[in-house]
Amino acid sequence: MRRAKLAIGIIAAAAASLAVFFALSGANALITHPRGLIARGELRVIITDLVILASAAAPVYFLLFATAWRYRAGNRKAGYEPERRRNLLLDVAIWAVPAAVLVSLAVLNWRAAHELDPFRPIDGEARPLTIQVVALDWKWLFIYPEQGIAAVNFVEIPERTPIVFELAADGAPMNSFWIPQLSGQMYSMTGMSTELHLMADGPGDYAGRAAEINGPGFADMTFAVRSASAAEFESWVAGVKRSSDRLTDASYGELVKPSAAVPVILYSSVPPGLYENVVAKYSAPAGGPPAASAMPGLSQ
Amino acid sequence: MTPNSVTDPIFGKMTLDALPHLWYTVGGTAFVTLMGLGVALVLTRYRRWGWLWREWLTSTDPKKIGIMYLIVSSLMMFRGGIDAGMMLIQQALAAGGSRGFLSADHFQQIFTSHGDIMVFFVAMGFFFGLMNLILPLQIGTRDLAFPFVNSLSFWLYAAGAVFINLFFVIGGSFAAAGWLSVVPLSELRYSPGVGIDYWAWSLQLSGLGTLLGGINFIVTIIKKRAPGMTLMRMPLFAWASLCSMVLVISAFPVLTAAVALLWLDRFLGMHLFTESFGGNQMMYINLIWMWGHPEVYILVLPAFGMFSEIVSTFSRKRIFNYASMVGAAVFITLISYLVWLHHFFTMGAGADVNGIFGAATMLVAIPMAVQVLNWILTMRGGRIVFALPMYWFIGFLVIFVFGGMAGVLLGSPAADFQLHNTLFLVAHFHTMIMGAIFGIFAGISYWFSKIAGFRLDETWGRRAFWLWLVGFFVTFIPLYTLGFMGATRRLDHYPASTGWQPLYAAAAIGFLILVCGSGALVMQLIASYRRRREYRDRTGDPWDGRTLEWSVASPPPFYVFAASPEVRGREAFWEAKRARPETGGGPPARYDDIVMPRNTGMGLYISGFAFLTAFALVWHMVWLAGLGLAGAIACVIVRSFAEDTEYVLPASEVARIEAAARADDN
Repeated sequence: MRRAKLAIGIIAAAAASLAVFFALSGANALITHPRGLIARGELRVIITDLVILASAAAPVYFLLFATAWRYRAGNRKAGYEPERRRNLLLDVAIWAVPAAVLVSLAVLNWRAAHELDPFRPIDGEARPLTIQVVALDWKWLFIYPEQGIAAVNFVEIPERTPIVFELAADGAPMNSFWIPQLSGQMYSMTGMSTELHLMADGPGDYAGRAAEINGPGFADMTFAVRSASAAEFESWVAGVKRSSDRLTDASYGELVKPSAAVPVILYSSVPPGLYENVVAKYSAPAGGPPAASAMPGLSQ
Repeated sequence: MTPNSVTDPIFGKMTLDALPHLWYTVGGTAFVTLMGLGVALVLTRYRRWGWLWREWLTSTDPKKIGIMYLIVSSLMMFRGGIDAGMMLIQQALAAGGSRGFLSADHFQQIFTSHGDIMVFFVAMGFFFGLMNLILPLQIGTRDLAFPFVNSLSFWLYAAGAVFINLFFVIGGSFAAAGWLSVVPLSELRYSPGVGIDYWAWSLQLSGLGTLLGGINFIVTIIKKRAPGMTLMRMPLFAWASLCSMVLVISAFPVLTAAVALLWLDRFLGMHLFTESFGGNQMMYINLIWMWGHPEVYILVLPAFGMFSEIVSTFSRKRIFNYASMVGAAVFITLISYLVWLHHFFTMGAGADVNGIFGAATMLVAIPMAVQVLNWILTMRGGRIVFALPMYWFIGFLVIFVFGGMAGVLLGSPAADFQLHNTLFLVAHFHTMIMGAIFGIFAGISYWFSKIAGFRLDETWGRRAFWLWLVGFFVTFIPLYTLGFMGATRRLDHYPASTGWQPLYAAAAIGFLILVCGSGALVMQLIASYRRRREYRDRTGDPWDGRTLEWSVASPPPFYVFAASPEVRGREAFWEAKRARPETGGGPPARYDDIVMPRNTGMGLYISGFAFLTAFALVWHMVWLAGLGLAGAIACVIVRSFAEDTEYVLPASEVARIEAAARADDN
């Protein structure tokens, strides 16, 4: 009974794989444990899509195995119709049914793409907070323009407050900014400013990382996110303002140089317009070349 | 020349540092040298140099070129497999304080070369090999439209395959910016070494070969079909190949242009894709994926075509709804151009742009589903024989439907924001490419007797199948799961607190199962060769086939068809067999003279000069580049004046060979 073995083996393999999948995707499964408005919306899209897809695929699997079993050469009870090649109803159905499923998925996901557009501002009770993010080789600089402070590889945000991340890069290749439990990714690039809006449900510590290959320090380009109450956030800001580290043009020049696995640095002050200058530096030919020190390839 | 680099007039940028001195470059060089010496020794010992040159290297016969494609692809699969193993073992080890056994830069070179080798030199090579071997027979022609160009295509592909490994011997480091060398990471500023240049020229060499091959196959399919074989009577593998080759000729020039522009940035200090001086990095990402997504269908369509042939043959039944199958393939071909942006929803395009490309991505799944349902309906009402190709087919459908679901999910922009760049994505596209690989294995086990004259061993084949299927799930289900755990691709180490290590370890075990599966495939070849008398295909039609390739002997004579077949229906050979039960054969009424292409070494010479040019450009040796280019152009000119490129095989000689073959059978 070779065919029985074939069918049973395949079903068993698939079932075992699914078991592994569910058994191991516990609390470490960041995407299935969202802690923010946007990440929750994205998970809802993933689950909805998967349910629709699985219910469309299940009959296909069933038909495959049932057909392969019933029409095996050894089964003389099944009818043999070697010339059967068309059937108008089936012809229409094999196009219409997949089309219906996939077109409805397309409509659903078109709407989701708009609802969860990273550029779309979030309506929240609290006043939105803007944080400017600069991807450097290989660390993340977070600038709080209203508070006049900055931090490396650490970002604290007030809970239940719409956060506007403005993203750019300086002296680093294309990067992808990602805090899986709060929202999906957005690229940060030189010469332009992209946006990512998110809002945390409550207090908590979350992992963030660079998700796009950008050189040897890639694996260490991680950062920590802390979501705290408004009061805790205010006192954190006040604490940072007392920090002895200050981000100046000179210390920024040092920071831009490539380095990996950089520990958290908190800066009590930031040069005004730093983020805007970083974007402008690359954005037009008229802006002139970046400093020679930032161009190791050409200075050789 | 780059403005500030100092180059030697003779050696360009090459210094003694370029010689092998790292463990893997020394090891790689030593391995290749020993293999080369071994082969040379065997050839000398058995006095086979002349035979190798006359019968193989200079051959313009697609049956021989096809076999050479399969050999190079198999070697490259071994090479790409070693990369995969090193990556997975590194990732299984490098949690917490451990950094594994590879440096970050070395790890990044490995995943880069793994991707390039598997796509450009394994999957593409296998498909071109099978198309060379089978397609002319299926459409009833003796040869491709341009036999010499076919030889040139192969040698450019082979030159590219050597070139991508050349850094082991001279240079010491490969590209480390991902298989498509994303900018600006691949620009001189971040990647000052020669790795990216080796990458670029390897792709240019093989890409030119692919483009020429695409033109050749399209012309062959359009112009060289047997009398009576209208387009709508073509076997579905021929249709799928035609669609795939249309994609090749329209998509590969985009790749060539994108890579050439990147190289101009690096060689002449231009600023097309740099971050400053007006360069636009997003332009490169767009261009590379305008090629990259059609490339997926270039690989998948021929597999679809093979499965259509296999399902019909082993179900003992006509393909269900042929016109729908053709329509679906054409639909896939057209819409595959309209989905490239789904590779970078996260680059910040607006919701409308993302939404449109997301919707187009979902629509491309419709024709895929149609093909799957048509295969199942073909099985319905059949008498299904579960020979080896059918095993691969069922395994393919199981993983392909699974991977297709993951693909539709990734086509949703909102879902993709989370899953992009994760191991979920990696697992998805490996599922699809594994589907193509199952197609290759199915095709090889289906057509092997046509190529070698004896069938493949079923027992070892089934062992290989189970190992591959189980190995696939054990390797890639953990990667799907890791994606949901927030693991991005291409990490050479990660914190232990992520909880990823057990799953990476499971994936590494899965890889070992796949290695055993590959071992079983080698054993299958050995076992089949040992029992070649028992497995000999005397009739040329071991599966009771339906298409023309089964109407000739296995292996076919070098001229393939003694007389051009007349096609009266969609399943030419099946119908001929039923009209004349004695295998549709019997000697034709009379033989005609056959015009055959002569062998030529020009394909090899031109590729050799192209290889030299590429090498010189990597190292900025302008004089050598000029020399190589002049040589290649001179060869093309000489070849275009050659008039004695064909010879006539007299009808009497054909009659003699045919009579001898029939006497041999009886």
